[in-house]
Amino acid sequence: MNLPRLYHRLRLTVVQVRSLHGSSNVQQVETAAVAAESDPVSSQFSVFRTSENDPACHTDLHAGQYYTLPTAQLRTLFPHGLPYRFQMQIKTFNEACVMVRQPALELISYLKKADYSRPALRYILYGETGCGKTMSLCHALHFCATQGWMVLHIPDAHLWVKNCRELLPSSSRPGRLDQPLQASLWLKNFKTTNDRFLSKIKTTQRYVWTKRETTEEGRPLGELVDQGVARVKSSSDVVGALLRELRLQAGGAAEGAFRLAVAVDGVNALWGRTTLKKEDKSEVLPEELTLVHNLRKMLRNDWSGGAILTTLSHTGSLYKPRSAYLPMELLGEEGFDTMDPFVPVPVSSYTEKEFESCYLYYMDRHWLQHPHSQTEEGKKELIFLSNRNPSILERLCATL
Amino acid sequence: MAASISSLLKPWIPRLSLVRWTRYNPYYLEPEPNKDVYMIPESELTPEQKQLKEEKLTRPIKAALSSTTSSPFDDPVISKFINMIMQDGNKVLSTEIVTQTLEAIKRRQVEKYHKAPAAEREAIECNPYTIFHQALENCKPVIGLANIQKGSRTYQVPIPLTEKRRRFLAMKWIITECRDNKHRRTHMYEKLSQELLSAFANEGNVIKRKHELHKMAEANRAYAHFRWW
Repeated sequence: MNLPRLYHRLRLTVVQVRSLHGSSNVQQVETAAVAAESDPVSSQFSVFRTSENDPACHTDLHAGQYYTLPTAQLRTLFPHGLPYRFQMQIKTFNEACVMVRQPALELISYLKKADYSRPALRYILYGETGCGKTMSLCHALHFCATQGWMVLHIPDAHLWVKNCRELLPSSSRPGRLDQPLQASLWLKNFKTTNDRFLSKIKTTQRYVWTKRETTEEGRPLGELVDQGVARVKSSSDVVGALLRELRLQAGGAAEGAFRLAVAVDGVNALWGRTTLKKEDKSEVLPEELTLVHNLRKMLRNDWSGGAILTTLSHTGSLYKPRSAYLPMELLGEEGFDTMDPFVPVPVSSYTEKEFESCYLYYMDRHWLQHPHSQTEEGKKELIFLSNRNPSILERLCATL
Repeated sequence: MAASISSLLKPWIPRLSLVRWTRYNPYYLEPEPNKDVYMIPESELTPEQKQLKEEKLTRPIKAALSSTTSSPFDDPVISKFINMIMQDGNKVLSTEIVTQTLEAIKRRQVEKYHKAPAAEREAIECNPYTIFHQALENCKPVIGLANIQKGSRTYQVPIPLTEKRRRFLAMKWIITECRDNKHRRTHMYEKLSQELLSAFANEGNVIKRKHELHKMAEANRAYAHFRWW
């Protein structure tokens, strides 16, 4: 395949398209022109990469191209957010490249245009298994982080409703159950992401943890988080207090105002069933878990100054049929009524252009080693076997 | 042996028509899953291929196994390895183990490739299939030993091995080495990938076992004349 010629042809079509749309949106053309001029060097060598690494500047022109996440900031940006196979890919390829796709661009454009003095809008990314919902969410969160927002990321809500080793009865409320391990782990990761905010925001209320431990009013939030990490027993209550503080103080008119992005992956776990059992072998309902109860309060749209980005996830969900992927099916009646009204963002498999881009990226990274997979027929076979589903394609290419 | 007799056999049609057996009459021909063979035009066929095509008009053909595909990604050596790893007929598990092994080998090599400076990159082999084949080749013994009884004593006599036996021994040694001599808590695919990569570099326990067999055969050279075939 003659890449330079292919690139020239694509470039010509892009120029023609731009001249057609030129009259409609001058600003878009200007930014796009700036983008094209700023990456002449890299775009000469790759059709599938873009040197525009700022998510705020991504437009439809970059759709299907890979942008690089800076490796130094990866630990602070996503300590726990990225999918496992993507983390393995980062380790193997020695770089973190994410494809710019339509659902993420749509979500980012909504975030740019929203009015943050109004109550928080809820966005739900839904689609079939392995289509790229979590990656689109991570792309949107990268955008939020570059814009200076505070990011509250729950990497997988399903982990809070199953496989819990220690389930303690709550110290503060009689009917509830605490999950100290999950809560303290999440607080540690929260601290790595949002360190710079924690010294600026102050508590508005006095919290009593035990007879000897309290957190006074007006103390920085960092102290609250340290309390939760150090004293694992009260960490679930600390999470609840933290969520309450952030809800009250997001988007204030004061100097230290910040916008809050609440991101929950697998939000259908909060309204499903759990596999946890109480001591008398009866099933635990999700609302009896402190973490889930407080998170549900966070997902209500009664606070302003931020956005709520969520993903539905079938992998990891409990007692749901394999074909379920729509919001009504996965959230159930109760969940849908609570999340309604929301902005649905559908995520589908790769288009032809995106598949080409993915294929070229794997070739560039020397990932497709089998000689037949590098031919045209091998590519057709890959399209047939994976049906352009991103995760299935990734697993197929791993073994070839 | 059966193949040479098959040309002397009379045309044979079974009385009962069953779908597939494990042991076929030698009159049956092997199926050809490769698509390219059927695309060659009449003029370019070699005399052997023409004869085979003639035979296929009259002789019956064995049923193809469910694990064979017409795709060029299909590798008979890998299929044999999967069958040898299989326990209790759990082919799904053994295919998973082997595909995870190939992935683990590729990941390690590609990671090494990307971290190495440009000068060393060409020397790093990233294709897991070539690594597997080369490692297997390195593990195959050249000469084997057989127990031959002469009088009341049993002697270890060096004998030549067929290609099939060599391949079988190499695969068996790799699998037993990974099952028995590695740490209990590692996954089979990790153990296999480590062993295959060290065999590719001519190191490791399987290569050592092959060398020990060669040394024993060399030591027992004196009894070589006990062999009568």
